[in-house]
Amino acid sequence: MNQVISQWSHANQERAGKILDAYPEKRSAIMPLLYIASLEHDFASPDAMREVAELTGVTPAQVLSVASFYTMFKRDGVGKYLVSVCTSISCFLQGADEVLEAVEEATGIHHGETSEDGRFSVEHVECIGACGGAPAVQVNYELVEGLTPDKARQLIEWLTDSQPEVVLTDEMQQLFGGQRSFDWGSSEPEGAIAPVPAFGPYGSVGEDR
Amino acid sequence: MTDLILTSRMVDHPADSHTIARYVDTGGYKALTKALSEMTPETIIEEVKASNMRGRGGAGFPTGVKWGFLAATEPRYLVVNGDESEPGTFKDRQLLERDPHQLIEGVIISSYALNVHHAFIYIRGEYPKPARRVQRAIYEAYEAGYLGENIHGTGFSLDITVHLGGGAYICGEETALLNSLEGRRGEPRLKPPFPAVEGLYAKPTIVNNVESISNIPWMINNSGIAYAAIGPERSAGTRMFSLSGHVERPGNYEVVMGMTWRDLIYDIGGGIPDGRELKAWIPGGASAPWFVPEEHLETLVTIDDIAQAGSMAGSGAVIVMDDTTNVVAAAHRLVRFFAHESCGQCTPCREGTSWLENVLRRILDGKGRPEDIDLLLEISNGISPGLAWPPAMTTICPLGPSAVSPITSITRWFMPEVEAMIGGSEVSNV
Amino acid sequence: MSDIAQVTITINGVDHTVDAGQYLISAAEGIGEYIPRFCYHDKLESVGKCRMCLVEVEGPRGKALVPSCTMVVSDGMVVDTESAVVKKAQEGILEFLLINHPLDCPVCDKGGECPLQDQAYGFGAGESRFVEEKRTYLKPIPVSSVVLLDRERCVLCDRCVRVADDIAGDALLTFTERGNAVQIQTFPNEPCSSYFSGNTVQLCPVGALTSVDYRFKARPWDLEHTTSVSVTDPVHSTVDVQTSRGKIVRVYGVENDAVNEGWLSDKDRFSFSTVHSDTRITTPLIRKGDRFEEASWNRALEVVASRLGGYQGAEVAMIGGANNTNEEAFVLSKFMRTVVGSAHIDAQLGDGIEAHLAAAITPRATINDLDTASTILLWGPDLKESLPVLYLRVRKAVRNGAHLVVVHPIGTGLDDVAAHTVTYRAGTGSDVLRKLSAGDGEYAAARELLGSGPVVALVGRTSIAEDPKLTEAVAAFARDLPDATILPLLERSNVFGALDMGLSPTLLPGRVSTGSDAGVAALEQAWGPLPEHVGHGTEGVLGALKAEDISALVLAGADPVRDFPDPRLAAEALEAAEFVVALDAFVTDSSIHADVILPVAVWGEVDGTVTNLEGRVQRVRPSLAPPGQVRPTHDVIDDLANRMGVALGASNLAMISKELADVSPAYAGVTMDFLTFEAGPEGVVVPHGDGVQPLGYIPVEVSVPVVTGEFTAHFAASLYDDGVWVRNADTIAGLVRDPVVRLHPSDAARLAIAEGDSVLVSGTHELIVAFDEQVSRGTIVVPHNLEATKGLAAESVVTVDVMRGDS
Ligand SMILES: Cc1cc2nc3c(=O)[nH]c(=O)nc-3n(C[C@H](O)[C@H](O)[C@H](O)COP(=O)(O)O)c2cc1C
Ligand code: SF4
Ligand code: FES
Repeated sequence: MNQVISQWSHANQERAGKILDAYPEKRSAIMPLLYIASLEHDFASPDAMREVAELTGVTPAQVLSVASFYTMFKRDGVGKYLVSVCTSISCFLQGADEVLEAVEEATGIHHGETSEDGRFSVEHVECIGACGGAPAVQVNYELVEGLTPDKARQLIEWLTDSQPEVVLTDEMQQLFGGQRSFDWGSSEPEGAIAPVPAFGPYGSVGEDR
Repeated sequence: MTDLILTSRMVDHPADSHTIARYVDTGGYKALTKALSEMTPETIIEEVKASNMRGRGGAGFPTGVKWGFLAATEPRYLVVNGDESEPGTFKDRQLLERDPHQLIEGVIISSYALNVHHAFIYIRGEYPKPARRVQRAIYEAYEAGYLGENIHGTGFSLDITVHLGGGAYICGEETALLNSLEGRRGEPRLKPPFPAVEGLYAKPTIVNNVESISNIPWMINNSGIAYAAIGPERSAGTRMFSLSGHVERPGNYEVVMGMTWRDLIYDIGGGIPDGRELKAWIPGGASAPWFVPEEHLETLVTIDDIAQAGSMAGSGAVIVMDDTTNVVAAAHRLVRFFAHESCGQCTPCREGTSWLENVLRRILDGKGRPEDIDLLLEISNGISPGLAWPPAMTTICPLGPSAVSPITSITRWFMPEVEAMIGGSEVSNV
Repeated sequence: MSDIAQVTITINGVDHTVDAGQYLISAAEGIGEYIPRFCYHDKLESVGKCRMCLVEVEGPRGKALVPSCTMVVSDGMVVDTESAVVKKAQEGILEFLLINHPLDCPVCDKGGECPLQDQAYGFGAGESRFVEEKRTYLKPIPVSSVVLLDRERCVLCDRCVRVADDIAGDALLTFTERGNAVQIQTFPNEPCSSYFSGNTVQLCPVGALTSVDYRFKARPWDLEHTTSVSVTDPVHSTVDVQTSRGKIVRVYGVENDAVNEGWLSDKDRFSFSTVHSDTRITTPLIRKGDRFEEASWNRALEVVASRLGGYQGAEVAMIGGANNTNEEAFVLSKFMRTVVGSAHIDAQLGDGIEAHLAAAITPRATINDLDTASTILLWGPDLKESLPVLYLRVRKAVRNGAHLVVVHPIGTGLDDVAAHTVTYRAGTGSDVLRKLSAGDGEYAAARELLGSGPVVALVGRTSIAEDPKLTEAVAAFARDLPDATILPLLERSNVFGALDMGLSPTLLPGRVSTGSDAGVAALEQAWGPLPEHVGHGTEGVLGALKAEDISALVLAGADPVRDFPDPRLAAEALEAAEFVVALDAFVTDSSIHADVILPVAVWGEVDGTVTNLEGRVQRVRPSLAPPGQVRPTHDVIDDLANRMGVALGASNLAMISKELADVSPAYAGVTMDFLTFEAGPEGVVVPHGDGVQPLGYIPVEVSVPVVTGEFTAHFAASLYDDGVWVRNADTIAGLVRDPVVRLHPSDAARLAIAEGDSVLVSGTHELIVAFDEQVSRGTIVVPHNLEATKGLAAESVVTVDVMRGDS
């Protein structure tokens, strides 16, 4: 197994090792490892990027170059709940701008900002593939479809009050969602524990298998 | 059983269509067994060629023909394109989430046919749930011996790695996707060399869309000829359409092509809500030039008919706009998308798309100038000379020229409205 | 692209036959059709990003716009570079580039030599159409201590990133963000500290990257240009020296495809301010007690002539000459051998290799041989530190498919591209050589690679603590590899030219051995009788000075107290000498011991020729007159000889050049005029034409003992050391490396020391410790030629004592 960063949690060290082994070339692991490093450092901080560089045998500048190309590696810190409001064409046609306004109002912050208490970050994003359930919002990349401005406000209030440790897409959809892109089928107890996609191999899943 | 190829399982078994138990129970992995034990790689490729299936990622290139270009050197790779970020498109999300084993079986058969031993499924980062489902299905497939060393004693071995994107539409472009998978910036590469010759890690690589590969098991079970027999000759098979915007019943629909747009929007989509009128629709994702009811309602929904009418079937995303839509605002939203997603390497795309966005923004803010219409067209012309479709390009990839479609569409079909807007009318959002 | 086929293409209606395999943009340029471009550069991989070079090419579906920088010419290609469509597209690109470009041309260093400005000149329509706000960034940010970046001016052509990353291997400068926000950046607090960063400035097509030392110094139209070569090391890169109002303000690389291909190290590029240093000596100095007094040339030369004239030839020695031109070296050689009558002459300072191996190894490689090598063996100094442009050439060769084997006591700059690296404990090289030639165990794979030719072997001493005999043994081994050619590696300026001119106890001008009766006879015909005694090399000279067997010393720009491996011996020798005359531009640790210092002209002021490590002779040209009373060396020596009663005829460079070419067999016909008017811009490799290598040295196997001791030492050279051309060059003087010694962590553990602790090396020098996994156990790496290691003998075994806080 490849060498990993020793101050990372044991689980993340193990994940990192597996990820490095999953590719023919180490450099391919930059993006997955950036997610793990973002969990360890709360965001894609310079230290996080330096660690990824070390693990993948490239320079920190090369990691920065990659990290800054993508919108999901947050280099300026991010709140506990990252609320991403889709304002792309299909959601726009269904009133996404009003949903964004409601979210901004309820959190008191605007696009690209993080609340002072570190609880929320808000951003408007381009299409997140939920056009059939427009307007759509993601919290830590977990999806809610068919929101209205009112429901969006309630969603933020609920996050503020109940502060879930794990953000579950099914739960949010049930409580605040409406029209869906398609029948979601059965629900499952997995979700995000941080503003990083909740994907087992990269960490961040609520009830990891 | 319905006569659908891709979605019958999820329609019939909404609760557990994603599990290996249900998959096997409904005939899953039979095609794999057949392919690995009864067929040679060559005969599989022949079936895919015979199916006449055209890729579902947007470009519509025949899959069998593409496979034929794969260079002989080893190792070689198969990469499934699940980046799905074209606004209006959400079909792959459903296929990944609701029937991951169908895709995985397709990947295994395709890999066997292409002599690939390591396949990758690239899923956009904003799709954690689909990725979880696919990853879990892969674990199940390993446990069941469908993946790994010496699959079911056939001597064939395969590993699949799921790779999550980081939020960048351009990574849907296949060479940008390969760069991204290599841990680089998602910048499209110069072509040639094409991926089939020099792809991932500069090795021969096939990149196919999720939907394309999900069709493979059916083809093996039922033959390529059976597939080709479905639908019009040059738009064979069924196809997923994502309906969104101002329609009564948005959603994904697996349909046989050949109907009219009227059928698709009004019968399948249920028409325009709240008794409003259809104003325009985008037939194939944000990149495609718009259609309007006066001209296109009777146009047939086939790849060729759409192309002939000056647009494209693209990713199958149909975005419907009703008569309340402010077309300049809609165009601005679309152009903003391309400006935001431009990788930034080509001068015309990097500078031109944001210039277009700024001019549209200014018009929306009530600061339009009469010369802005010419300016919009001139900038567009600098990105895509001649403003024709399919577009001429001054860029490496078609993203830049895609940003021009909304401009040519609104100036072609809605010039009076654009002019009125510049005249200083108030902005009515949507 | 060795088998050059030709294809016929039609450009703007005219048929042309051009070499196949090239890009359309360069084929068109070759026939006089210049296609505008920003990102394309013929030494970088094509990226096709700026889209400025769009032209129309006919294809199956009619004419299409294609970037000519990514399209390879093919037979029958029909191209239009001037159609209305092309013009429109190019104007469009230009407009796109200009919308966010600041209009600060009047204060931009690039103003007047800017392709963006040039190309926009005939195109005025664009600006007014852009009423939006321009992209703005904070004004210039440093990307390193020598280079600044103004992001607003950047056109994102990717040239700098490709140079830093692909060419130099320093991926420290990168694109960040995407789309309209794309910009060039370094990682926070990690500057682009590359030895090659200046190349980014030279290649930047606009004024985005500027060098700290040139900013606002001059306007391009005021500059005077001189083509010369850089002599900071014996690679001899071709340079364009640019002066303004009597000062050198900028040095650019020139594309000499045989040598540097346009690239320079930052030392090549930025060391020029040494020429203008305040600390230069500008009048002759004569010792008065422990001080120097200024003197007239007349007085100074009288003193020297009378003192030197008072000795027998064998009582006088000369050290140095490696910083001189061939012509100067020739005059020094003739002066010593005929006027003084001494054979005690050496341009090497005990830090070199066998003179015959350096001068005339056969078969000798050229730098370009690297391009066609299958395998490259590097067993010599770390090229990145010592011969940086050669380092670039090796990287290029590896990019093009050559396999590199590096053998060195510690990690080197080339390890990342090497197929095999062999790291050995300093002092055990002969053991490694034995095992490598046998292909034993861990060396089997490397040995196998070395079996596939053509092999180019780069051989030299890895450190001045290493036995020079090892290099001979390595050369003997390498010579027997398939299709092997050898490039000897030395590090000082024009040392190869100096040896070729006979500045060696065993060589006469033109690569003639002093042991060759015919060679001696031929030279005596021209020069009269040569000294009969056996000459000493530098080590022998210093020993003899100390023993008072030699009494007088001429220092020709040499600083043995700094550069000789045993500085104490050098200092003692200079003290013991009865008379020392130094021809120098600076007071150095050695010339400070002189009785007379004669100020001589340096690079930038001298005219003549120099010879590089492959034996290539090129012209150096003066850009300036020497300051003050400074005179060129040959002129000083001629005057001195006259005062000693001999007319050398050395005041006139043309005459020296002619005599040199007449009496130096390997240089037959290679005069300054020949180089200027007949040889190509690449110069010529001697022996030239049909000339037969007079010496043709074949190394023989020698036995070299393995060194043992608790700590064997590796004295590591670095590009920025405390040498004259770094110390006195403002731009790079601050980059001199920290004086740390490096140890393997396990040795440190054994000594119970931590990183940052101090050790006493050889009982005299206190240095800070750093850990390095790439150092063999038992080896200590000591930085060479830094202020802090002054006086430390470069011995193969040193003692290492731990300094405890309380002691
Ligand atoms: C800007 C751009 C974005 C694209 N996005 C996607 C995408 O999200 N998914 C996809 O499958 N193909 C996308 N494509 C098309 C791919 O480049 C490629 O043609 C496709 O993945 C091939 O698969 P197929 O042959 O199965 O259609 C995109 C192309 C471009 C130019
Ligand atoms: S057209 Fe745009 S997105 Fe495509 S390669 Fe060029 S800059 Fe990148
Ligand atoms: S020079 Fe061809 S695209 Fe830049």
